[in-house]
Amino acid sequence: MIKKFIHQFASPKTYLYQVNRFYPYIFYSSLVIYIISLIWGLFFTPEDFVQGNSYRIIYLHVPASFLSQSLYLAMAVASVTYLVWRVKLAAYLIIAIAPIGAMTTFIALISGSIWGIPTWGTWWQWDARITSTLILFIMYLGLISLHNSFSNFEKADKLTSWLVIIGAVNIPIIKKSVDWWSTLHQSASITLTEKPTIDVLMLYPLIGSIIGFLGLITCLVLTSSKYQILIREKTKSWIRDYV
Amino acid sequence: MFNFAFNSFEEAIYMNGHGIYVWIVLFIVVSCITIFFITYRKKIQKIKKKLNESN
Repeated sequence: MIKKFIHQFASPKTYLYQVNRFYPYIFYSSLVIYIISLIWGLFFTPEDFVQGNSYRIIYLHVPASFLSQSLYLAMAVASVTYLVWRVKLAAYLIIAIAPIGAMTTFIALISGSIWGIPTWGTWWQWDARITSTLILFIMYLGLISLHNSFSNFEKADKLTSWLVIIGAVNIPIIKKSVDWWSTLHQSASITLTEKPTIDVLMLYPLIGSIIGFLGLITCLVLTSSKYQILIREKTKSWIRDYV
Repeated sequence: MFNFAFNSFEEAIYMNGHGIYVWIVLFIVVSCITIFFITYRKKIQKIKKKLNESN
């Protein structure tokens, strides 16, 4: 029953038409939310009494950091879906997400390094959080290289999926690194189980920037997956009707 | 909640010496997102054109 449901709603054709339908709504609403949240965070929140104005990088760093891990989890779910139910769309999504995941991880690393200069007095420290995030970035690049090294798409999809699942062990390590080891990086200010440690004046624009960035990255994933479908299904008759 | 945190626009740009870090990060984020959107858009247009020609 689950297999039938997934195959019915995850056909590349249905997906492509649904993407075109919802894309403009997601894109424009996310863009507006992101711009408003950034203006709010950068100009209308009070200065932090410890970090001064450098803390405003939080509105750019945290969404990227959150997305870098979330995108990998999405790839892991897609990998399981592909390996268990042989859903083609899941395989397309894995390779559509990987470059965007690499980009968000790159932003998280670079913004963290720049934030580190005025805050910690150093742009790099081999501590658990930063090192595990660097490993995540290398994993994204490795997955893209592995997939591109095969001319046989099916073989590439299968091996990439297994590697994604194996690499998913790094996600809880990144998440828990600040609790398990003594690091320069502060522990999470927002968790699902506890009250946020960040002031509400700073919290609301942060939530807005996370939602806006999530929407924009979702649009990028939708665009990237659209490209993958066009490449991989180009011999199918419905693609000719579509273009 | 919506009080401007600075005394002037110049002060908002300078941010007590921290502005340079904030604006560099903003530039990197906006550039990365824009480059990715443009690249994928161009790639899609290219493959669509190719498919149209083969039809």
